[in-house]
Amino acid sequence: MRKILVFASKELYTAFRDRNLMLLMFATPLVLSTIIGLAFGGIGGNGDSELPDFADIPVAVVNLDEGVDTQEVITLPDQFANLDALPFDPGDLASAFNQAGLGPDQLSQDGTTLNFGDQLAAILLSQPVEGTGTTTTEGFDLAELGCSLLDESETIGPSSLAAGGTLDDLLDATSVDSADQARAAVDNGDFAAAVIIPPGFSRRIMPHFAFDGDLRLRTQPPGEDGAVEVYANNGRPISARILHSLVAGIVNQFVRVSVAIGATLETSVNTLASSILRGDIDLSTVDLPASVAALQELDATVLEPLGCLITPGANNITVAQPPLEHIQEAPRFARTIVPIGASQAVFFALFTGVFGIHSIYEERKYWTLQRLIVSPTPRIFLLAGKLLGNLVTVFLQILILLAALTLIASVVIGQPTLIWGTNFAAIIIVTLALALCVSGLGVFVVGLAKTPEQVNLFGPMINISLAVLGGAFGFALPEQAARFSLIYWGVDAFMQLANAQTDVAVNLLVLFGQGILLFLVGAWLFKRRLDL
Amino acid sequence: MRLMVEARNLRKTYKRHDGSTIEAVKGVDLEIRQGEIFSLLGPNGAGKTTTISMISGLVEPTEGDASIGGFSITKQPMDAKRLMGFVPQEIALYPDLSARQNLAFFGRMYGLAGKTLSRRVDELVEFVDLSDRQNDRIDTFSGGMKRRINLAAGLLNSPPLIYMDEPTVGIDPQSRRRILDTVKLLREEEGMTVLYTTHLMEEAQELSDRVGIMDHGEIIAMGTQAELTQQVGEEDRLEFTIGAQEVAEALLERIQQETVGVTRILHNPPEQLSDESSESTPSRLTVFAKRGRTALPQIIQNLDAAGVEIQSVAVREPDLEAVFLALTGRALRD
Repeated sequence: MRKILVFASKELYTAFRDRNLMLLMFATPLVLSTIIGLAFGGIGGNGDSELPDFADIPVAVVNLDEGVDTQEVITLPDQFANLDALPFDPGDLASAFNQAGLGPDQLSQDGTTLNFGDQLAAILLSQPVEGTGTTTTEGFDLAELGCSLLDESETIGPSSLAAGGTLDDLLDATSVDSADQARAAVDNGDFAAAVIIPPGFSRRIMPHFAFDGDLRLRTQPPGEDGAVEVYANNGRPISARILHSLVAGIVNQFVRVSVAIGATLETSVNTLASSILRGDIDLSTVDLPASVAALQELDATVLEPLGCLITPGANNITVAQPPLEHIQEAPRFARTIVPIGASQAVFFALFTGVFGIHSIYEERKYWTLQRLIVSPTPRIFLLAGKLLGNLVTVFLQILILLAALTLIASVVIGQPTLIWGTNFAAIIIVTLALALCVSGLGVFVVGLAKTPEQVNLFGPMINISLAVLGGAFGFALPEQAARFSLIYWGVDAFMQLANAQTDVAVNLLVLFGQGILLFLVGAWLFKRRLDL
Repeated sequence: MRLMVEARNLRKTYKRHDGSTIEAVKGVDLEIRQGEIFSLLGPNGAGKTTTISMISGLVEPTEGDASIGGFSITKQPMDAKRLMGFVPQEIALYPDLSARQNLAFFGRMYGLAGKTLSRRVDELVEFVDLSDRQNDRIDTFSGGMKRRINLAAGLLNSPPLIYMDEPTVGIDPQSRRRILDTVKLLREEEGMTVLYTTHLMEEAQELSDRVGIMDHGEIIAMGTQAELTQQVGEEDRLEFTIGAQEVAEALLERIQQETVGVTRILHNPPEQLSDESSESTPSRLTVFAKRGRTALPQIIQNLDAAGVEIQSVAVREPDLEAVFLALTGRALRD
């Protein structure tokens, strides 16, 4: 083991003393990243709360939701499939409500619909949210619903969605008629993403009920159709992610309303039915007109608890807030240099990986390898020392580049800025995974090649291909293709960490898995290089 | 005396790209006694380096085995390697490290550490007289200085046996003299066994207790210098360079019959250097005679009478070159 460390130390020492290698390992990626960062990110901090890159994200909103006709909701036989099983005639109940002016007949005449798609689209388009829920012949505006859980500083409504700014600042939403048209516009780069609200969205949100065998009302699971689609442009991954979080938050809000309504109705109806069945309530003695009158006197404040559920931004869009806040806080140069710097660091580390291992040919040429083989050192130790030395070199290279880029970014921004985030443990683990993968690829390439000339030819070719796939040259290929590049996984992980997200498990799994596989196969192939 | 190296039927076959095979070493048997300087002498391509590579564990033999101090190089390689030092023909050093760093690194790979390593490095830079340059990078050294550090690196583990593969190639006469003296010193003061390969007859003659002459992958003769020269008798060699001229067989027969003491004559006709070139090597005549200096005037007279222009003449007493020539019909330098 000591000899492995001695050999690995020698590798590190010689690598970090080689001026030409230093230029390739550090100077080139740093200079490139800084130039590109300055070109696209500018000098200095943000200055104000505007969102230079993530403000006015162009979004197409397609609302194909036809809503739910209240008639369908209210028509009991349609809604409750096994209504015939009840021990009394539901028609009698409906007639009683009709006589009181609160029955299905009155509601059906209004022809009103509940359309959650309209509300989602209105939020995204920063238009007033107008409700169409109807309790009687008079409608009320959902936006009027207050929430006592919010303090005065929190604005109720769509504007509270974007911390530090308004949703209107964040999104530049345009209503588009057709889904295909919106997708084509996204593909063309006119929009960062399209939110497509499909037909049946409201139907999916609306709770559905049925009586079970014990004649108890049960909420039914929603159908498969009706899920909102966020169609994103791969060249705008952050914008797409922001939008996705936003839409998910709002839709979750609707779902909460739906679940709350379903649960309330389920409990109420079951309690009512039990009371009727037990004879606790005599329908003939109920003064329906008086009850209806009492209901009509209710105003929106009575529904305040419901308002907390459906008030946008009140208490249930927290998923979108942390990354948004962080992105908005990050200076523009930092946001630019993170993806560029990370991709350049990994790209140049690929060369260190291949040519570090390739130095075995140099050792053979200078006969130092032969001298080592003649020493009482097992060949496997020499192999392990070489690989360990390369792994540590690549690891240090990436880590030093990250540190240097932090320094450069701090100088450019004018204040100390941790551009890679503050989760240092995660940064080190991602770097280690990348180093393993990069070094493993180097071992694999050198092991596969039959001659040093083949390494010189195929090494750069493979590295450049991975860089193109992984987006290291400033343009992005479709994500499906990019996923084949370790650069994609590394850069994605660093960007997530920079955005204070910690969900890099998949990235680590891919990088470690790929690295270990390449290392093992490569080491097996590479062992032949020690046979003289 | 105890055997330090024993090789039995060492054979090495390489595969060519076209699938055919080439036998570089064809069943070498070798015994080297402890404290002996043994030289493998032969022209370039004779198989000396391949043989030494197999004995040192650098190359795996296709067939046969060698043992070092009783340890098989194929079955107990680590034990065998602990007993040997290796000085390859090439400068096996890291050019971008200093002399001291090189020695320290290779010392660690031999298991030395701490003060023992530091002391040994001090001794060796002193031994090769490079103390004042020990912290300079190897790529700033002259060829002779590199050779000396290369030699020092082979001595790090104070081995009882050292392999030296043509250690004087490409250096100036002064550095060569220093290395030859060092080899003798190692045997005399350290009692080291030396296996030395060279294509230079003079080095083999000066250093060796015994010599093995190799050609075409085989040891064609082995013994002390006296034993080997006895194989060609007491004859002197008269070497004539006669330019690019053909010599008639009849003339050579007449010289052999008429000149007293002449036993045989070898004629190396001129050879064209390449297909493209009109230049050729000079034609040479080697005449073996019991009293060479006495026979010389008559031979010159005969050649002169036949119109052969003599460019130079050398009289050589029996040596390893003569042995090689007698055994192969070629000079070592060919």
